[in-house]
Amino acid sequence: MLSKHKTIRVLAMMALLLAAASAVAQTTATGVINGTLVNKNGISLQFDTDPAGVTLGAAGTNAATANFGIVSAFGPLSAGVTRPSVTAASYTVRTIFDVQVIQGGLNSTTYTLAANLAAAAPTGFNYKVDAVTLTTASQTLQTNGAYSTAVPHNLDLVISTAAPGAGGPAVGTPITTTINFTATAN
Amino acid sequence: MKKVMLLTIFAALMLISSAAVAQTATGTLTVTATVNGSIQLVFNSDAAGVALSSGAGTNTATLAFGNVSAFGAISAGIVRSTTATTFTVSSAVDVLVSKTNSASANYTLKAQLGAADAVNTWQVGGTTVTNAAQSTVTATGAYAANSNFPVAITVPFTTASGTLISNTINYTATAN
Repeated sequence: MLSKHKTIRVLAMMALLLAAASAVAQTTATGVINGTLVNKNGISLQFDTDPAGVTLGAAGTNAATANFGIVSAFGPLSAGVTRPSVTAASYTVRTIFDVQVIQGGLNSTTYTLAANLAAAAPTGFNYKVDAVTLTTASQTLQTNGAYSTAVPHNLDLVISTAAPGAGGPAVGTPITTTINFTATAN
Repeated sequence: MKKVMLLTIFAALMLISSAAVAQTATGTLTVTATVNGSIQLVFNSDAAGVALSSGAGTNTATLAFGNVSAFGAISAGIVRSTTATTFTVSSAVDVLVSKTNSASANYTLKAQLGAADAVNTWQVGGTTVTNAAQSTVTATGAYAANSNFPVAITVPFTTASGTLISNTINYTATAN
């Protein structure tokens, strides 16, 4: 009789253990996900506002705008615009903008920056970046640009002093030109 | 075996080709400016007159006649004339007006004294100027050329010796 009770206790204990084990098993799950990715290399270019220049529209992108506002040989200029020279034939108004090129996955340590006008310069205008007169053909501005830093560049508008119709620019109306920039990893 | 070799060479060429393509990034900056015509006025010393003591080549200059009198010695560059009751000292002063991006053919020059002078008479280019209103010195000024508009002061004999005579003449050039 005693042995029978012992057997019952053992069976009851085993049943409890099994039940407990079963309960633990229900709250645990495991799994394995095999994730893969392909790290593509590349570089990007963006324009930033320079503290000494005009505030760019769409700064931080690769399609920005720079508005000099109203310019003249002798009159007041907008903030961020300077007039480094005035001669009998022309005057220059200048602003500063920043170019930032970022690379990933490349062994390149520097980049080459080139620029060109999207279309021929308007009458009475010449465009310079860092003293390089731009044309519709691509020209090198810098051969050792540093990555991941905002590099300032001078943007000069050289404007003829001639009157409209006599070789000078149109007056009183906004004149817009697009400059294309290309950064190439060295 | 030959097939494997060809595949290996092809793969190698693909790798070389991939490495040879330069990585580039592009951007466009759209630049806008509105040009306005403008004119500028500066004073220059005239070779025949008293040299401007300061500000030559700017629009804020100083003309110092120094000591003047009706009959005594007079400095070079000063032209003097006398009447029975007054004497006039005059010096050539050049005004240079430049224009840009403008079809204007000439300019109008006006002058006005900065402060009233009830004793002496002031003239610019032969036109009497006061502080009451602007006086037209010329209505057909030529751009980009030094134009001599003498500054003259007529002083009564009754003025005490050692009296300092000083005033400011404000010039305004307007494109016609």
